[in-house]
Amino acid sequence: MPDLLTPRRRIALAALAAGLLVVVAPWIVDTYTASILARAFFVAIAALTVDVLWGYSGVLTFGQSAFFGIGAYALAMTFTHVGFDAGGIALAFGLAVIVAGLVAALVGWLSFYHGSTPLYASVVSLVLPIVLVQLIYAGGETTGSSSGLVGFQTFDLDLETWFRLAGLATVAVAAAGYLLLHSDAGRILAALRDNEARCSYIGINVERLRLGILVVCAIVAALAGLGHAALGGVAAPENASFVFGTQLVIMVALGGRGTLLGAVLGALGIELASAYLSGSLPFIWELIVGIAFVAVIVLFPAGLIGALRRLIPGDRADAAPRLQTAAPLPRADRDMMVEARGVTRQFGSLAVLNGVSFSARRGELVSLVGPNGAGKTTLIRCLADGLERTGGEISIVGRPIGRLPPHRLVAFGLGRKFQAASVFNTLTVADCLRIARSRRDPMSWFDRSPVLSLPQAARQVIEGGGLGDRLGDVAGDLSHGLKQALELAMVLALEPDVVLLDEPTAGLTRAERSAFGAILTDLVRREGLCVLLVEHDLDFVREISSRIIVLHQGQIALDGTVEQVVNAPLVHEIYTGGHVPTAETAS
Amino acid sequence: MLTLALDIATTAAILFIVSAGLLIVFGVMKIINFAHGALITAGAYAALVGMRLGLPAWMAPFLAFMVGGLLGMAIESVVVRRLYRRPLDAILATWGLGIVLGQAVIVGFGREVQFVAAPVAGTIGLGGTDYSLYRLLLVAAALAIGIGFTFVLNGTRLGLSTRAVILNETLAEGLGINAVFVRFLTFGIGSGLGAAAGALITPLASVDPNMGIPWLINAFMLVMVSGSALSTLAVACLVLGGMQVVISTFVSPILGGLAIAVLAAIALRLRPEGFARA
Amino acid sequence: MSAPLLALDRVSSGYGSSRVVRDVSLDIASGEIVALIGKNGMGKSTLLKTIMGFLRLQTGGIALAGRDIAAIPSHRKASLGLAYVPQEQPIFQDLTVHDNLRLGLASDAGLAAGIAEMAQAFPVLGRRLRQRAGTLSGGEQKMLIVARGLIARPRLMLLDEVTEGLQPSVVDRLAEALTAARRDRGTAMLIVEQHLPFVLGVSDRFAVFKSGEIVDSGPVDAAAALRIEAHTRL
Repeated sequence: MPDLLTPRRRIALAALAAGLLVVVAPWIVDTYTASILARAFFVAIAALTVDVLWGYSGVLTFGQSAFFGIGAYALAMTFTHVGFDAGGIALAFGLAVIVAGLVAALVGWLSFYHGSTPLYASVVSLVLPIVLVQLIYAGGETTGSSSGLVGFQTFDLDLETWFRLAGLATVAVAAAGYLLLHSDAGRILAALRDNEARCSYIGINVERLRLGILVVCAIVAALAGLGHAALGGVAAPENASFVFGTQLVIMVALGGRGTLLGAVLGALGIELASAYLSGSLPFIWELIVGIAFVAVIVLFPAGLIGALRRLIPGDRADAAPRLQTAAPLPRADRDMMVEARGVTRQFGSLAVLNGVSFSARRGELVSLVGPNGAGKTTLIRCLADGLERTGGEISIVGRPIGRLPPHRLVAFGLGRKFQAASVFNTLTVADCLRIARSRRDPMSWFDRSPVLSLPQAARQVIEGGGLGDRLGDVAGDLSHGLKQALELAMVLALEPDVVLLDEPTAGLTRAERSAFGAILTDLVRREGLCVLLVEHDLDFVREISSRIIVLHQGQIALDGTVEQVVNAPLVHEIYTGGHVPTAETAS
Repeated sequence: MLTLALDIATTAAILFIVSAGLLIVFGVMKIINFAHGALITAGAYAALVGMRLGLPAWMAPFLAFMVGGLLGMAIESVVVRRLYRRPLDAILATWGLGIVLGQAVIVGFGREVQFVAAPVAGTIGLGGTDYSLYRLLLVAAALAIGIGFTFVLNGTRLGLSTRAVILNETLAEGLGINAVFVRFLTFGIGSGLGAAAGALITPLASVDPNMGIPWLINAFMLVMVSGSALSTLAVACLVLGGMQVVISTFVSPILGGLAIAVLAAIALRLRPEGFARA
Repeated sequence: MSAPLLALDRVSSGYGSSRVVRDVSLDIASGEIVALIGKNGMGKSTLLKTIMGFLRLQTGGIALAGRDIAAIPSHRKASLGLAYVPQEQPIFQDLTVHDNLRLGLASDAGLAAGIAEMAQAFPVLGRRLRQRAGTLSGGEQKMLIVARGLIARPRLMLLDEVTEGLQPSVVDRLAEALTAARRDRGTAMLIVEQHLPFVLGVSDRFAVFKSGEIVDSGPVDAAAALRIEAHTRL
């Protein structure tokens, strides 16, 4: 049974059914309802783009109305000033696509940069429609100013045709969106929403990807706006306004964010209900919508669809892929893996790192120890992100890292595991790993692959760590220990030459800890990795390290073998304040 | 020239009055109160009601402060409190509350534009030009708000507790400070200030149910640029408000109206951490 | 027989679903100083955070002077006579030394007397009351957080690694202050530490913590050092 109803077939069937409904509906519903719904379909397409941006990829946008407005005005201005003919039609479409795409590229450049916050992207999305509406107001005869453009000649289709056209377009956009977003590559959007930092450290250019998503969504919203104007024969400033932009968000929130279907239902439901109710209950209706919106945000963040899903618990898990061992990559023919010279990190007048120099070779497991505040985590950060340090030089596998951002350093052969397990909480274990492999194995935008190739080391961590039969489970539901193992496997899936680990055993049980230690020493010995480890647990450090670096007050206090460091009086002083009675009684 | 300088000073003062409440809430709670615009509207209507009841005009801002403060405390305890860990949802929920408040105002007062008289009318001669006395009074009001809050924050036990919560909430809780109550009070005061701002600006324009929204956008952008300090907010109001006046006067009022939003967005792109640590 | 001042009864807690502290039982009498010894990452700080209510108690019970305090919000614990000296971010860097101390008291009544007392115990703080706490040296900051704990005259103080990274002279200074507080006011303490000489100097009893469990405990006597060493050797 599950084989017959793969997710792709399920969506194809659903799209077919919805399409049929759209074709049949004009014979059933009355003309007034049909005319409301025909328009609402175009609004629903815009709402779908809001859902992709907000529900799926985590950028709350108030600005999709601006692109909708660009499309509407592209058509209205062309048909008014150029004329309604084949050339005019082509021009209208061309303008809608090009202007929306260019504006989106500008907005994306403004919104997404290394270190930008989701709040800032929302700020920009809010400014955009406000600017656009002011431009429309200032446009005089060209834009029709506050009354908009009406009375231009447009497509002469009857209502039933418009209804079917708009409805089928909505079904097509929703179905295509669903396929894309639930393909292997589409899961990256959810990964962006869950954990942008992890994406960067997997080698994904987060900023460029977000910009690309915005451009696509902007063009789709512009075409929806164009359709809306063509149907209604009017383009008004309200179509582009910030208020309409927030209405789109409200529709998605009420319907259920991150579901696509919720966006369509929310848009159609609200448009229909306001057409019927705003007449009989003029202001009360909007009051009700406002209250419902607040209640949904606070009490049911997943919206209508989310609430329904909770009522009808179905088996929504995808079949887990089969594991495969990827052919090993040729290793860099080089011994020196990490070189740091005079690395300094200042925060204002405070130097957390002050001239740290060291190097590490292939096959070494170097532990960084030292009291809290010694600068260990800061050093890891400087090694993994070229923008972090304030002075000094760092080379990874022989290449100076300059001021490069993390996703570029992944290509140098660097993998970083964070202190708190950093995985994609709403994705399955298999999807987390697949995204981690995206640099090596390009992912499909249309399909879900039944196999998952992992390098030997990552596969060992998965199967040895007890994740082998949990590939279909959602990562956020894993225990702390399993999440740590998953993140390590994700890092190893990159096939790095250098692995940075920040307190990987914090919060693990003793058994988990020793298993973890065994995996690490094995990796270093067999794969010739170079591992840099920040660790508090000195027992653990002593068992697994080939070398220990002691950091103290931002400087290297000691760099030597385990015996040298363990027996150094300086270490006792740093850790225990000196004069420990030495007792050689066995435990 | 003098008129231009006075325009800049009074515009900055108005912007400061309108943004201060939003900034205080953002500073303590790291949450943007998108109901701030509706609270400005509510304050303006409170002034209108006060006028109809025959209260003296100088009482209007205080009445509005009470109304806004009570509304804010209700909003905080029913809605915002549950959304601290979801800051983007907090924006949406407060925006929804703004819609609710705005529609409630329409139901109660109708959609038409109404007017409130200023407590002081007329102009004052300054260096050869006549200038609106009330606008100048707003500069004094802005100074009073700025100085008053700086004093509360730096000179009182409550202010110290508030700063402790801003700096390190866990530590403050461990020392016996009820962070939940501090936030409740902060939200109430910030909302009250928003409403008082509404009452203060109405005599310059008019009262209508959507009057708060344009102010919300400008206030929001100013707060984003300022970080969380009243002093940087004052600077931001002077600089960006000044640009608005200059562009409106010499280029076009429409571009001037966009100046704050656009310049603030660009400024944030160039200096993401805002200007608080400039 | 009166109830112990602090009674931990099979306490388990951790972050999210993970369990960092497992079934820990420990009693502390009034005026008693107990040291919790063990290396970093073993769950000692987690236990203190659980007592303070910053982390949810997963199982077990916590009582202060016979009263169940597990469900009492963190901010009300100070008024029950509990003072917490945390390890991470323990001071308000941007506030003055004076204001940091002031926040140790529930109200400004007794502020002047309290500050005077602390200035006497830690003269270096007395000289720097108007200075921003973030500009103090590491040792001075530790003195400040201990003073802020002591100023309210708590019944029980929870100290998390106060000696970390300090010079011996500063450690001695802190030991003196803690001993004096217990002698003069009967303040009980639960001290989380790695610094053995300090612990052996101030505590009455010790408990060794390993991977979230107490693996050994006993009075601080001549044999204690060897027993602790056996568990915590590098």
